[in-house]
Amino acid sequence: MSSVLIIAKTTMLENARKQVFHVVTLLTLTVVCASVLLSVFTLGVQVKILKDLCMTSILFCGGILAVALASTALPSEIETRTCYPVLARPITRTQHILGKYLGTISTVYLGLAVIGIAFAVLLAARSALDGLLILALVYALLEVALVAAVAFCLSVFSTPAVAVMISLLVFIAGSVKIGYFSHLVNGISNPVIKGAGLFIYHLIPNLESFNFKDALVHQLPVPEAYLAQVAIYGVCYTAFMLTVATAAFAKKEL
Amino acid sequence: MQPIISITNLTKVYKLKRGGRKTAVDSLTFEVRPGEIFGFLGPNGAGKTTTIKMLLGFIQPTAGSAEISGISVENPQARINVGYLPEQPYFYKFMTPREIVAMHSSLAGVPRQDRRTQIEQVIELVGLGELASTPISKLSKGQVQRVGLAQSLVGNPQVLILDEPASGLDPLGRRQIRDLLISQRETGKTIFLSSHLLSEIETVCDRVAVLAKGKLMAIGTPEEIKQGGTRTTVTTTELTPEIMSEIKAAGGTTHRIEGETVITINTDEVFTVIDSLRKAGLPLLAVTPEQESLEEAFLRLAA
Repeated sequence: MSSVLIIAKTTMLENARKQVFHVVTLLTLTVVCASVLLSVFTLGVQVKILKDLCMTSILFCGGILAVALASTALPSEIETRTCYPVLARPITRTQHILGKYLGTISTVYLGLAVIGIAFAVLLAARSALDGLLILALVYALLEVALVAAVAFCLSVFSTPAVAVMISLLVFIAGSVKIGYFSHLVNGISNPVIKGAGLFIYHLIPNLESFNFKDALVHQLPVPEAYLAQVAIYGVCYTAFMLTVATAAFAKKEL
Repeated sequence: MQPIISITNLTKVYKLKRGGRKTAVDSLTFEVRPGEIFGFLGPNGAGKTTTIKMLLGFIQPTAGSAEISGISVENPQARINVGYLPEQPYFYKFMTPREIVAMHSSLAGVPRQDRRTQIEQVIELVGLGELASTPISKLSKGQVQRVGLAQSLVGNPQVLILDEPASGLDPLGRRQIRDLLISQRETGKTIFLSSHLLSEIETVCDRVAVLAKGKLMAIGTPEEIKQGGTRTTVTTTELTPEIMSEIKAAGGTTHRIEGETVITINTDEVFTVIDSLRKAGLPLLAVTPEQESLEEAFLRLAA
């Protein structure tokens, strides 16, 4: 376990120095902080818009960072050969993958923590801080973990550019899966294309289910059973992606 | 004596695009004994790095097996006592040598209470004392090479696998590395050394293996490797055309130096040449055994 944590720590330190991390985090932080300009609206509307804007920004920032950092974590290490001295130590490839993954999502979480704190401060200033915010943020972190696992898995099989591209598509399609994708698939008349569409529909992670923005904005109750179901779904999907990534990486020739 | 590294029929075949195949390592079999410096020689593309990669579990062999300290290299535990320096090592540029060595000391399982002492020891040993807190991005190629050496030494591994350790170093640095390797051997370590610097190999290695096109061409002490090609020079005055033809037929060469003719020929042909000179009434000025250098042996074997 200590080897996993050492690799995770190094990966996090490395990722936190990447330009994409600084740019995306700062841009999102700017959007969140700029929401103070919403003072033209009445307080109730202000809070709703603030919650909507900030949660959207957090989910978007988390997804983009997860894709950008997770897709490149392993391939760049192989390309620059920094993995050789590490893998020459008595550690397994599974430990290495887990370390890289944990380091990557820790970096994304670091960025989201900064934005989340800013968001919480803004809400607190309007006396609108509630438990639903924590719930929404926790599930946003779960979504980020899942997206990172997908990107990580894809990066084992393909080049970083392809992994980024497909992961982004998965992130976008997964975020609009129920709302738009199902509509699109149901509208197809050709049974073969519809079958393929349905297969992709089920294969793509349902990221919408992690999005509790509406519940947060409109103060809607969320059933506990549903929360548990979504959490289990997220953990299982992430674990499956990491298992596939580990199995593939174990056979990968370096 | 139980070998520390044992390689048996190790083979690696790469599948190429368009269905072709390339044998990078072909049925390699040899052993490295405990406490020796073992030189691993071969021209570019001979299969040295592929062999090292198989030893460290980076790639899977197509056939055959390899063991380190009696443990199959497929098991990560085989690397528990191994320090590895890759050719042209790369490290995270934001880290300092001390941080890199610290990271590797943790990965190598050095007990927490011993880490600080060991880290400082290896940093001093490779001569990085003053640069220990300088980011890698600000170090020269030779200094990064020293960082690589330091991380391979941390944890006091009994087996060192070094791929071109003197690469990028100036003559003084090479000398320091050579002394370091010798001092490590004196502490009982086994060193598997892949290098292109034949003079370095000749000076420090106890035994040498020469690889060409994935095959083992020769193995033994540098003296044994060189023996196979021992030649002798015979010095006389003038040569008759008949003797000249005899020498050429026996694979010998001739050249003139300051009025004398120097014949270079395989040692087992020397008496034939001497008899011919005597029959022709030519003087025998000198007979000198010519010791083949490791470089010449390498070129002969790798050709």
